[in-house]
Amino acid sequence: MIIGSILAGCSNSSETSGKTKDGKTAITFMFRGQPQELKAYEATVKRYEKSHPDVKVTLVQVAPDQYDTKLKAAIAGKKIPDVFFYNPAQVKAYVNSGVLKDITEYVEGSENVNIEDIWEKGVAKYRFDGETLGQGAIYGLPKDLGPFALGYNKTMFEEAGIPLPDKDKPYTLDEFINVAQQLTKDKDGDGKSDQFGAGFNIQWALQPIAWSNGADWIDETGTKVTIDTPEFAESVQWFADQQNKYKITPSIAEAQTLDTYQRWMKGELAFFPVGPWDMATYAEQLKFEYDLIPWPAGKTGKPAAWVGSLGIGVGATTKNAEAAAELALYLSADQEGNQALVDAQVQLPNSVTVAEQWAADTSIKPENKQEFLDIINDYGRGFPAEKTYTAEWYDEFYKNIQPVLDGKMTAAEYVKEAQPKMQKLLDAAIQQEKQAKK
Amino acid sequence: MKTTSKLYRTEQRYAYLFIAAPVIGFLIFAMVPLIYSIYGAFTNWDGLGSMDFIGLENFINVFKDEYFYKSMFNTIYMMLGIPIGIVLALLLALALNRGIPGTNTFRVLYYIPVISSIAAISILWQWAYNGDYGLVNQFLAIFGIEGPNWLQNTSTVKPALIIMAVWKGLGYTMLLYLAALQSVPKSFYEAAKLDGANAFKSFWYITLPMVKPVTFFIIVTNIIGGAQIFTEINVMTPTGGPEYSSASVVFYIWQKAFGNFQLGYASAMALVLGLFIFIITLIQFKINEKNSFELD
Repeated sequence: MIIGSILAGCSNSSETSGKTKDGKTAITFMFRGQPQELKAYEATVKRYEKSHPDVKVTLVQVAPDQYDTKLKAAIAGKKIPDVFFYNPAQVKAYVNSGVLKDITEYVEGSENVNIEDIWEKGVAKYRFDGETLGQGAIYGLPKDLGPFALGYNKTMFEEAGIPLPDKDKPYTLDEFINVAQQLTKDKDGDGKSDQFGAGFNIQWALQPIAWSNGADWIDETGTKVTIDTPEFAESVQWFADQQNKYKITPSIAEAQTLDTYQRWMKGELAFFPVGPWDMATYAEQLKFEYDLIPWPAGKTGKPAAWVGSLGIGVGATTKNAEAAAELALYLSADQEGNQALVDAQVQLPNSVTVAEQWAADTSIKPENKQEFLDIINDYGRGFPAEKTYTAEWYDEFYKNIQPVLDGKMTAAEYVKEAQPKMQKLLDAAIQQEKQAKK
Repeated sequence: MKTTSKLYRTEQRYAYLFIAAPVIGFLIFAMVPLIYSIYGAFTNWDGLGSMDFIGLENFINVFKDEYFYKSMFNTIYMMLGIPIGIVLALLLALALNRGIPGTNTFRVLYYIPVISSIAAISILWQWAYNGDYGLVNQFLAIFGIEGPNWLQNTSTVKPALIIMAVWKGLGYTMLLYLAALQSVPKSFYEAAKLDGANAFKSFWYITLPMVKPVTFFIIVTNIIGGAQIFTEINVMTPTGGPEYSSASVVFYIWQKAFGNFQLGYASAMALVLGLFIFIITLIQFKINEKNSFELD
C-alpha cells in the first residue's frame, strides 16, 4: 500500500502528444501559488494565448503543500509538464537527470523579451554549466525574487517615544536587544509580557544573523559544513538568548509556530520579517504603520539577508520547446503579466525598470520598499542548500536545535555535535550527485 | 460441471468480467509498483535518472540509520493509542447497547470523525493544540492548568497525536463492537443469570469471548493502519516535530523519497516496514489460532 503509493504517485492526465485535436500546439503549465497569484497567472496565460493563437495551454494547479510531491511524481512517471515552477535548489539534480531543458537560445534570441531587464541575479540562479551554478546555460527563469527584509511596527515605536530605526544604518546586535527590551512590556499588569520586541523563527531568521556575523553553513566549495566556528555558535547563541536571557520574545515553543505571525498582525511585536509576498495581507489587515529596515548586523558590521526564488523551467521532454520557452519567458518577464502580479502585491517586479518605479512609488506601503531592492542588489544571498544536490544536510541542522532554543544546551555544544552528522549527509549528497552525472 | 446451461455459462462469463476489474486494478496499481519498488530497493535510484544495482547497500544503511530507528520508535509509541481506543470503544458500545436514551444521536456523533477527511481533522486539531489560543489549553485554563504548546514539545507531541487518533478511530471501533454485541444471543445471559452470575461475570465469561473475533479484527487492522500513520503527522508537524519526535516511518520514507531524491533507499525502508507489518500480523494470527474455540 505504502510502497504502491510512493511509486504510483499522482500522474497528471494532461495530454503530452504535443497537439490538440484541432491542430493547435498543446502545452501544459504546472504551478502553485496563493489565490491572488493563481488568478494573476491565469490572466497572464490567457494573454499569452491571445498573442499566440496557435497555442493552447493546459493549466495544472497544485496546492502549495503538495506541489513538490506531485512534481516529483510526475517526473518519476516520465510525464514532465512542458512548463513548471521549481525550486532553485533542484537545478543541479534536474539538469543532471535530464528533466530540464536548456532554453538559452530561446531566451537570448527572444524578440519580445529583453533578458537584460530581468534581474541578473535572478537568472543566475538558474544557470548551470554542469559544474558550477550561476554560469553557463539557462535552465529556467525566475518567477520572482523573494528578498526577506526586517519589518518594524512604526506605531509602536512612536507610542513608546523611541527614535525610529535608521533605514540605512543597521542596528548592532546589542542595540537591537536594547531597543527590543524597551519595547517588551506587560501592558495589562498581569505579570506576563504581552508586547514583545521580536518573535523570530530560527528556520527563517538565523541566516541574516549568522551571515552578518561572518559565519555560514557551508564553505565556498560546497563540500564542507562550517557550523562549528565560534562566529556561528555566537550567532546561534544570540538567537537563543533572545528568549532565555533577554526575554524579548514570546515563550520558547511559540517561536516555532505561527503564533508570532499572529502576534505581529495584532501589533504585539516590534520587529518581524517581511517578504514581498506578505505585502497584500499586511496592507489589508495591519492596523498599524510598518516599514522596512536592514537586519541587525553582527561582527562584519554589514547586514545580510536571504533572497528566495522560484523558477519557471521547461521540461526536457517537451514536444514544443519553442512555445514552452516562450511561455516561460512570458510568465517571467512580460510587462503586463508582471504588472498584474505586482498589482496583486504578491511579488516584486521581475523587470528591473518596473521594480525601480515601483520602489519609488510612495503610494504603495511600506515606504522603504527600496530595502527589498537593496537586498537583491547589494547584500542578499541564496539559501545554503541551494548550492548542494539535496538539502538533507541543511535540514539536519534544524532537526535537533530545540534544546538550544530552550536553553538546555549551549550553541557551542550543539554546533560541535551537529557538524559531523551534517557533514556525513553532505558527503552523501555529493556522492549522489556524482552518481547522477554518470 | 458436466451439464451447464447456456444461461449458466453466460452468467459465468459476466461474473469473470466483474471479478476481472478489481483484479486488473490490483495488478496495475499494486502488484506492478510493488515489484518495481522491490527492485528499486536494491538500486541507487533517485527517482529521476538511471537505476544502478547496488545490492544490499540500502538495507545495510537502513539498519545503521538513526532516524529510521527514531521514526520506528515514534510509530510504535503512537500505537499505544490502539489499546486505549479499544477499551474506550468497548465501554461506549456497552453503554449504547443498553438502550440509553439518545443512542442513535450518540452513534452519529461518534461516527462523524470517522467519515471526515483526515487532513481537515488534522488542521482542526492543530488549532486546538495551539499553545496560545488553542481550545485544549483554554479548557485546561478553566481549571487553572497552564497547558503546554502541545505540538512543539518533545514530551507532549506524541500523546497529543495519540489523543487525536483515539478520538478519530473511536466511532469506527465502537460501531464494530456494537454490531458484535447485538449478535450475542440473549439466552446466554439469561442462562448465566439463572446460574447466579453477576454482571461482571457475565461480561467476562460471555461478552468478552463472544466479541473476540471482532477484537482480533480491530487489533490487526489498527496495527497495520498505525504502522502507516502519515497524514496527521505531515499536516500537524510538517518538519517531523521538535527533534523529529513525531516523525513516523512513513513520514521519514516520504521525506527521503520526495525531499531528498532517494527513492531506492526509501523503497528499501518501505520494504523493511512492510515485512515488519507482515510478521506482526502473522504473529497475531498464530496467537489467535491458539486461543480460538468453536461453539457447538
